[in-house]
Amino acid sequence: MSVTTTVSLVGVGGQGILLAAAILAETAFAEGLDVKASEVKGMAQRGGSVLSTVRFGEHVWSPVARYADVVIATELLEGHRGLGLLAPQGTLVCATTTRIVPGSVLRREEEYPDDLPGAAAARGARLIAVDAEALAREAGTLRAVNVALLGAASVVLPFAAASWQRGLAAAVPAKILEVNERAFALGRGAVSNEEVGP
Amino acid sequence: MERTLFFSGNEAIAHGAVRAGAAFACGYPGTPSTEILQTAARLDGIHAEWCVNEKVALETAVGASLAGVRSIVTMKHVGLNVAADPFMTLSLTGVNAGLVIVSADDPGMHSSQNEQDSRAYAKFAKVPMLEPSDSQEAYDFVAEAFALSEEFDTPVLLRSTTRLSHGRGQVIPRVPVVLGPRDYARDIGKYVMVPHYARMRNRLVLERLQKLRARAEESPLNVLEAGTADVGIIAAGVAYAYAREAFPKAWFLKLGMSHPLPYRKVARLFRQVSRVAVVEELDPFIEEQVRALGLPVVGKEAIPADGELDQDIVFRALEPFLSRRPPRRRRPVFPPVPRLADPPPAPGLPVRPPVLCPGCTHRAVFTALRTHRLAPMGDIGCYTLGALPPLLALDSCLCMGASIGMMAGFNQALGRKAAAAVIGDSTFFHSGVTPLIDAHYNAADGLVIVLDNRTTAMTGHQGHPGTGLRADGSRGPAVDIQKLCEGIGVRCHTVDASDYGVLEAAVKAEVDAPGLGVVVALAPCVLMVPEKAGEIVIDDERCNLCGLCLDVGCPALARGEDSVSIAGSCTGCGLCTEVCRRGALSFAGATGAGTAGEGAP
Repeated sequence: MSVTTTVSLVGVGGQGILLAAAILAETAFAEGLDVKASEVKGMAQRGGSVLSTVRFGEHVWSPVARYADVVIATELLEGHRGLGLLAPQGTLVCATTTRIVPGSVLRREEEYPDDLPGAAAARGARLIAVDAEALAREAGTLRAVNVALLGAASVVLPFAAASWQRGLAAAVPAKILEVNERAFALGRGAVSNEEVGP
Repeated sequence: MERTLFFSGNEAIAHGAVRAGAAFACGYPGTPSTEILQTAARLDGIHAEWCVNEKVALETAVGASLAGVRSIVTMKHVGLNVAADPFMTLSLTGVNAGLVIVSADDPGMHSSQNEQDSRAYAKFAKVPMLEPSDSQEAYDFVAEAFALSEEFDTPVLLRSTTRLSHGRGQVIPRVPVVLGPRDYARDIGKYVMVPHYARMRNRLVLERLQKLRARAEESPLNVLEAGTADVGIIAAGVAYAYAREAFPKAWFLKLGMSHPLPYRKVARLFRQVSRVAVVEELDPFIEEQVRALGLPVVGKEAIPADGELDQDIVFRALEPFLSRRPPRRRRPVFPPVPRLADPPPAPGLPVRPPVLCPGCTHRAVFTALRTHRLAPMGDIGCYTLGALPPLLALDSCLCMGASIGMMAGFNQALGRKAAAAVIGDSTFFHSGVTPLIDAHYNAADGLVIVLDNRTTAMTGHQGHPGTGLRADGSRGPAVDIQKLCEGIGVRCHTVDASDYGVLEAAVKAEVDAPGLGVVVALAPCVLMVPEKAGEIVIDDERCNLCGLCLDVGCPALARGEDSVSIAGSCTGCGLCTEVCRRGALSFAGATGAGTAGEGAP
């Protein structure tokens, strides 16, 4: 990774992309790093694609980057789209069992893409596929797909477990902190070091 | 030949508009522009109306232009500030029939609160600016402006100043322009400026500016006039007349079209003479661009940057400069054609545009409206998404509050109820009230549907005067839309938007009724109503996949293999049960058969 690390979070409006980005930013702060972030959310409430970018390092200048070292996708189609945001040798962490089908596919004008592993391999990207829905359900709420996925992504991000804990506590409302901590732990546990590879 | 007339610049503009085939004129009075519309109102063949303000005037004229009628809008310089919102985006949508905006500047502030130079708006919006210098040109340039507007698909600004508007001169009438019909064709990608379409139109605007500059280079409006002295003057508008009288032997580059600037014509003047001055009233608009070419000119260091000019001021200002040793001759450096950002890569993947939420009750308005042959003029809010597939239910989106004025202008131009307006409650309070007053005052026909979801939903549920909810969460008095409309004198019905039969009947009644009416379709934003209204179930036997329910554009409904499928995002609003003719969709537990389908389109 470069001196500044870029993580892009992609998903569908309502999936909690912005909260996941806030947790990530708070975690980086807890590590004593400089953080810059930006989001495109004007259409977030209307089921459009949402993109949030978090960059951290010793000193970060720009709030955006064309390519990310890690892309976290809370939905399969957005994961496919997220491959286009990934730097060479980057990692895509994707909730591959979550499908939110857009209108054009419902109307059979376009096809929902299949074979994310193939697409990732073609791009030379490392793919971490996560059944985040199952993990979130196990944690206690389907709404925690975002945080379960963040837990999975934490395996490839250079932060200490204690920092993640502080990040969660700082960004997640107290009322739903516990269930999100569970989802995070389940996500983190679901990705073995073997899967991550060298 | 007809007799020569003796017109003020304002009279000449009005007569020139009629001669150019304009049939719709509107504006708001303001010195020195007022007499343009007053004159037009006395002429045959053109409908003239005073509007409630300049913004509404421009939106009304845009409606008339869309309907296929050449339209002219008049205002004073500061009025263009009021109209700036529609004006800036009108540059992107372009026009149907030609549209000319006259902005009359008031150098010296004879009766104005500031001295702004309207030409800055031409640059700002990337549209052409014409500057006539006398009454004959005022008369002639209007036709040129309309022709440019249609050829380049752009609004055209025409700048007058006090001495042009209120000065008088001879006008030789010209043969009237004969126009073919210009029918309205719905074009969502051109007229509905949601971000996706606006990005595409914006690229066309940037390309259009280059084409307009090429036109300015060859246009007879921009004339290089030979002189006998080794002095050149670049001038536009009435300042040209002053300079011409002050320096009869000079060469002139007379700019009838001062934006975009014809760089090469400017350079040609510099090849003819060794000293060049720019004479213009108010800002160094031309001068700065000439200096940017690297060409040495005399400008605002000599010519006053405020107040009016006259030949005496111009002579005394320039005389000492022009008798000095000429500056070293330089080669112009023409600015490069600006590059455009790389277009986004072709998606290759299904796009995910924002959509109206599942269960959004206001979707029913589009379903009710679609059965009538009215062009739905849209506005800005969630409901603008109704313009996108699969609903394709709005014809325009220009700026906040534009729907009602555009509807009024469209209907006035065609003389019948041909367009409706669709506007949200928060947008209505933002700037929908003034055009409603205007449409009532000018006796425009029309149907206004206020989609009242009791919040400013698109931006995340902020309060507005209709709800009384304030920024700090406290409650103030709430303004009642129906009472407001009735106070204006406009017929208004409030209906429950979640009762499709009632909504449909109210829309139909207003479509059939004469004159102007408002239907307030009331139902709170579905995102503010957390509990599910009920469980919708599909009867696979009855469903024949006819697609009527899919046409309402709800993201919770999808075409399955044998029948329509219902996703978990369904809120149970029940609109699909209303439009299904076979009783295939119903609330779980209800008998389903027989009841659904009544009143379906």
